[in-house]
Amino acid sequence: MADYAFPHRHLLGIEGLNRLDIETLLELGDRYVELNRSRVKHTDVLAGRTLINLFFENSTRTQGSFEIAGRRLGADVVTMPIATSSLKKGETLIDTAMTLNAMRPDLLVIRHGSSGAVKLLSRKVDGAVINAGDGTHEHPTQALLDALTIRRRVGDIGGMRIAICGDILHSRVARSNVACLNVLGAEVRLIAPRTLTPPGAVEWGAEVFTDMRKGLAGCDVVMMLRLQQERMDGAYLPSAREFFHFWGLDEEKLSHAKPNAFVMHPGPMNRGVEIESGIADHKTRSLITEQVEMGVAVRMAVLETLAKNAPDFGVQPTAQAGAKS
Amino acid sequence: MTGRTVIYNARVIDPASGFDEKGGVVIEGGVIADVGAGVVKTTAGDLKIDAKGKVLAPGLIDLRVKTGEPGAENKETLATAGDAAAAGGVTTFVVMPDTDPVIDSVALVDFLQQRGESVAKVKVYPSGGLTVGLEGAKMSEIGLIREAGAVFFTNGDKPVEDAGVLRRAMTYAASFDTLVASRPDTPALSKNTVMNAGAFAARLGLRGTPPEAEWIALARDLMLAETTGVRLLVDCISTERSLDAIERARGQGVKVSCSVAAFSLFFNDLDVGDYLTYCKVQPPFRTEADRMALIDGLKRGAIDAVVSAHDPQPTEDKRLPIADAAFGAVGLETLLPALLSLAIREEIPLATILKPVTSGPADLLGLPQGRLAKGAPADLVLFDAAAPWACDRDDLSSRSKNSPFDGRKLEGKVLRTWVNGATVFERG
Repeated sequence: MADYAFPHRHLLGIEGLNRLDIETLLELGDRYVELNRSRVKHTDVLAGRTLINLFFENSTRTQGSFEIAGRRLGADVVTMPIATSSLKKGETLIDTAMTLNAMRPDLLVIRHGSSGAVKLLSRKVDGAVINAGDGTHEHPTQALLDALTIRRRVGDIGGMRIAICGDILHSRVARSNVACLNVLGAEVRLIAPRTLTPPGAVEWGAEVFTDMRKGLAGCDVVMMLRLQQERMDGAYLPSAREFFHFWGLDEEKLSHAKPNAFVMHPGPMNRGVEIESGIADHKTRSLITEQVEMGVAVRMAVLETLAKNAPDFGVQPTAQAGAKS
Repeated sequence: MTGRTVIYNARVIDPASGFDEKGGVVIEGGVIADVGAGVVKTTAGDLKIDAKGKVLAPGLIDLRVKTGEPGAENKETLATAGDAAAAGGVTTFVVMPDTDPVIDSVALVDFLQQRGESVAKVKVYPSGGLTVGLEGAKMSEIGLIREAGAVFFTNGDKPVEDAGVLRRAMTYAASFDTLVASRPDTPALSKNTVMNAGAFAARLGLRGTPPEAEWIALARDLMLAETTGVRLLVDCISTERSLDAIERARGQGVKVSCSVAAFSLFFNDLDVGDYLTYCKVQPPFRTEADRMALIDGLKRGAIDAVVSAHDPQPTEDKRLPIADAAFGAVGLETLLPALLSLAIREEIPLATILKPVTSGPADLLGLPQGRLAKGAPADLVLFDAAAPWACDRDDLSSRSKNSPFDGRKLEGKVLRTWVNGATVFERG
């Protein structure tokens, strides 16, 4: 597998990736976990490469994770928080893309609040684009880090029963995870009130439940999703306490899953809304902090893999050097 | 209640099973221990009651009752409504959430249940407000309120105008497979109206409620029920066309049921007569053709529930020019007599006409009562199906006397009512 040529220029979503694509990234991620656990967490595989982090939506953990991943690989990392920058003022998305493209980045990590925006940008730039979350569409590196976490801690994903619970409707994490886990052969379940269940979710290749106890029965892994505050104001849900009562993960509901089933959450958590603190902090069952660790490793794998496919700007060294300075 | 009570020599009617024969019922421990033709005078028991050939049937279940409690106790309390119900053979009623405060929280549901248990002679179930404060903007805590004991959710007489809010509330309610009731009304068409729109309203010089007010809202509600998969109770239809639409939707697999107010089966718009404010109700009395179509629907079992639409209003809110008078009519005590009168006048079998006030509503709510079956709660009514009488509002037990039946001749009188085997009403 080491000599498998990853056939994609960008990572815009899990959709479109096959099993070999995903496993290639996970295996490389596995190796980076070891590097990250060693004393000198550094290689120079991306030396001389430029990575721009372009976050149109505020983010702490994903942005930080990509930054660390890029630096550990030896890339020059620039983070542009567009949400607060002047680039946002009056400039169209395409203008922003053209401006940044002129800076000749090899890798562009982009998060945007609108579904499809990252794909639009990917058509306008020369570097490799990594989708760090677009609207309620995809968040592929989250799905990859979740898969890496499960593989390392729980075992072979094939045949595993995994539940994704909560606000499926608005979750890019859920969409990417369903796609990823399906490709890897898991039996995926979605558990949510009907107002937060996307229309046609049954066609995603997942079984859909409204009753959490029934949905959790026999699950190896329970993935909780973050519930945005604005969903709890009476439009999609009557209240946070009602959500917690029926869909919040507590000891009792978790007892319906397999004994010692693992619990995951992409963060940031709303303790007491979608997950009880005791479970979030559980020493053996919660994989939540491990997910964060896997995030860096899997993003290193993605960056390295896509950098190999990125166009070589070294063809015209003088001009490129000028543009990059 | 200790011991065994034997009611014998009755005409026993169980609408759920279609049973209609001479026999009796044995009550033990508050439940029906035996029922049927085999229960006779010599059946072993501690207390024997000779029904003298009168009809013994399940106590009535009324899905639409307003009291004034909490918030307008001058109109009616749970206690006075309970008295009226017992006198009318109604052993279970559901209170609407449009009280003050609105029943849109677990605490209010608890309050209603506790008050009902402690002061009302019959069984009282709360319905829950579908939206917070019935304001039609935010859904209420449907799951928690349902767990607390609300039997269905409704916005009462204030329709949810925002289709997006209604769609999400229905979608959410479908998560729990709970029943949502909606009285189809389009306020833009019904606002400031008094009675059915038509020639008679025009002659009286009164603003009429066009039937489109019902049809438009109904069409929307049926569509949303279809796409959200919610169980919908269309509350108080009043027109032929509404019944057609519901039956068509039901034929297409939509989980829809419907209720009709007893007054819609009994009166037409001409009964408003000389500006009778007691006949100002929602939905309004419609045309004679509508009334007959609803009776036809009742005969063929298309109507799941007949309700009293009990809505007490004090004299000061009714003794006004009709345009200014309040809507609403009391109905708990006249529900059964109205149906028994119709049974005679329209030649409808008693088991058929009693179904939408017994097993029909019981099935909608999943209640064990409303049927004469071993083990079912001994909620019973004994009545004379043909005794003629004239309704006098001053004889009503309700605190408010606003009955359109006032002065009307009716057939059928309640003789005795039991709740959980205990007598709660007996005609002296």
